[in-house]
Amino acid sequence: MSDPRGAAVASDSDASDRNGESDPSADDATGRESDATGRESDADATESVDAAAAESAGAPTDRESRREIETDRWLGIAGAALALVGLGVLVRQSSLVLAGAVGVGYAVYARAGDAPTPTLAVTRSVSDETPAPGDEVRVTVRAENVGEGALPDLRLVDGVPPGLAVVDGPARVGTALRPGTAVTFEYIVRAARGDHEWEAMTAITRDAAGARERTTAFDAPTAIACTPELSAGGDLPLRGLTTVHHGRVPTDVGGAGVEFHATREYRRGDPLKRIDWNRRARTGELSTVELREERAATVVLLVDARESAYAAADPDAETAVEASVSAAGQAFSALLDGGDRVGIAALSPLDCWLPPGSGTVHAARGRETLATDPALAPTPSDERFYRSLWLRRFRRRIPADAQVLFFTPLVDDTAASLARRIDAHGHLVTVLSPDPTTTETAGQRLTTFERRQRLRALRSAGIRALEWGDDSFPVAVAAATRRWSR
Amino acid sequence: MSDAVRDGERGASGESRDDAGADSHEIDARPPTVAIAASLAAAGVAATAASVASPTGGALLGVAALGFLGGSLRGSARVLTWGAAVGVVGLALAGYRGAPPEALLVAAVGLAVAWDIADHGVGLGEQVGRGARARRNVAVHAGSGLLVGALAAGLVYGVTLAVGGGQPVAALALLLAGGIALISALR
Repeated sequence: MSDPRGAAVASDSDASDRNGESDPSADDATGRESDATGRESDADATESVDAAAAESAGAPTDRESRREIETDRWLGIAGAALALVGLGVLVRQSSLVLAGAVGVGYAVYARAGDAPTPTLAVTRSVSDETPAPGDEVRVTVRAENVGEGALPDLRLVDGVPPGLAVVDGPARVGTALRPGTAVTFEYIVRAARGDHEWEAMTAITRDAAGARERTTAFDAPTAIACTPELSAGGDLPLRGLTTVHHGRVPTDVGGAGVEFHATREYRRGDPLKRIDWNRRARTGELSTVELREERAATVVLLVDARESAYAAADPDAETAVEASVSAAGQAFSALLDGGDRVGIAALSPLDCWLPPGSGTVHAARGRETLATDPALAPTPSDERFYRSLWLRRFRRRIPADAQVLFFTPLVDDTAASLARRIDAHGHLVTVLSPDPTTTETAGQRLTTFERRQRLRALRSAGIRALEWGDDSFPVAVAAATRRWSR
Repeated sequence: MSDAVRDGERGASGESRDDAGADSHEIDARPPTVAIAASLAAAGVAATAASVASPTGGALLGVAALGFLGGSLRGSARVLTWGAAVGVVGLALAGYRGAPPEALLVAAVGLAVAWDIADHGVGLGEQVGRGARARRNVAVHAGSGLLVGALAAGLVYGVTLAVGGGQPVAALALLLAGGIALISALR
C-alpha cells in the first residue's frame, strides 16, 4: 500500500507468467472443487454464489505482489535456547540442555519455510447491484486456493469502497487453506449515493511459523451503482435575474403577466383589456396597466464538494455534501418543472459541469450527474483545489444571465468569499447552507459562531442566504421565502 | 478444549457486535478469544509441569502466563516478549533445581506454544480483528507449533535415552552443537 507503484507494475509480468504456469493445475483444482467445498467446515454454505461465478472459480484471479517482510517474531529464540544450554553445562543439569535443544528446534522451525505466494480464485457477489440509498447490500466473497501449495496462514481483507459503510461483520477473515479448498465470508454494507467500485482484496500470507509475511493484492472487480430518485422539491424563490423567455419568475419589467406592476400613459396599440377603465371614468384620461412580466431564469446549482465541505455533525451522520446534493436534487427537479433552465457545477478539485438546459433528457442527465459524478462522490477526492483556476473556468462557462444557487456548509471563508465574488460578477447568488455544526464542546461552539458570522456577513452584503439543519430543506425554504423580498 | 474454543468463539462474536454498534468504522483490534484461551491453556500446562520440580520455577511460569494474558488483552507484543523472558528464567530455575527432563521438556514446549499462540493472536487482531472468523487459522498455527515442539522434544529425549543417561552434560551439549552444525550445513 505504501509501496511505490513502480514496483507493483514491475511485478505484474511476473504475476501473469505464474498465472500462465498454474493454468493446468487450475483444471485439476476445478475437478476437486465439488468435494473440497463439501468437506470444508470453515466455509459457509456457498449456494448464493451464482452459476457464472462458480464457472469462473477455477481461474486464478489477477494478483499483484505488494510486499514481503520478515516479522522478526522469533527473534531471540536461538539466544534463549543457547543460554539454557550453556547454563545446563555450567550447573551440570542435562535436563536444561534438553530444554535448550527444544528451543533450537523452534529456531530451526522459524528459519525453515518461506511465506507462500497465494494463487487464489476470488469471486465477489453482491445481493443487489443497483440499490437505493440506505439499502443493505449483502456481499459474499469466496476465495479458493487454486495453487499447488497449502496456505497455512491466510488473512483476507476485502477492499470495501471508501464510500460504503460496513454495517455487519468485518470484511475480513483469517483462515488456512489446503489446495483446492475455499473460504467464503459475508458482510453487509449500507448503500450510499454514487458509483462504488471495490478495491483489490488484500491477502496476507505467512509461513507456518509466522516468520515471514507476504502481502498480495487480488483484483476482483465488483461495482454497485446507487442512483437516488430526485424527490420533487417545493417552490424555490429565485432572484430577479432572468432570460428573455417566458417563465415563472416575476420581474420588475412591466408587460403581460398576472401581478400589478404600474400604470403608464396610454400608447397606441395597447390592448383594450389592459386599459384602466376606472381611471378613464374618473378623470377622462386613458392609461394602461402594466403587469409584472414573468420570465424564465437560468440557474446553475453549485455544490461545494471541497474536502472541508465533507463535514458532519458526528462520524456516522450524513455529510454536508450529501445534504447539499440531495437539496440540489430537489431544487433541480423543482426548477426544471417550473420551466427554468438548470445546470449543475461542483466546487471541487475534479471537474463537474452540466450546462444549463431543460427537457426530459436534461432531467435524466442531471439526476445522473448528481448521483454518480466523481466530483460529488460521498468521500472527498485527494486532489488539491485551486480556487482562482476554478473561478476562472467557472466564469468562462457560466452563461451571462445565469444566477447561482450555491449549496455550501460555509465551514471556511473560501466559500463565503467565492459567493461574494460570483455575486459581484453579476451572477446573483443565493447561498443555501446545510448546518453541520454542533455545540457540545467549546471548539464546536466557536465553529458554529464563525459560521453564523459568515452567514451574517453574506446577508449584509446583499446575498440571500438560508440555512437548514434538522428540519428538511423544503421546510427551510418555505420559512425563508416569507422573509425574502423580491 | 473444544468446548472452551466454542465458548470463546461465541464470546468473541457477541462482543464484536456490541463494539460494532459503538463504532462501526474501526475493527475491534483485540486478539481472537480462541487464541487467548489456547495460549492460557498451554501456559497453564507449562506452569504445572515446571512446578513438579520447583515451585519457584512454576510460579515464574505462572507469572509468564499472566504476562501472556495481559499482553493479549492489551494487544501488545512487547508485554508478551517480557512474559516469555520471565518464563525462560522460570525454566532455568526449575532446571537448576533439578527438574526431571520429562517435566522440563513439557514446560519448555508449553511455554513456546503459549507465547507463539498469544503473539499470533495479537497479529491476527491487528490485521483481521476480533469480529472476524479466525478459529481455523489459530487452530492450524497452534497445531503446527505444538507439532514442531513435540517433534523436537521427542527427538532430543529419544537421543538421550539411546545414548544412555550416564553421559556427561558437556557431551550432550556437544551433540547438540553437532546437530546444529549438521542442520545449517544441510540448508
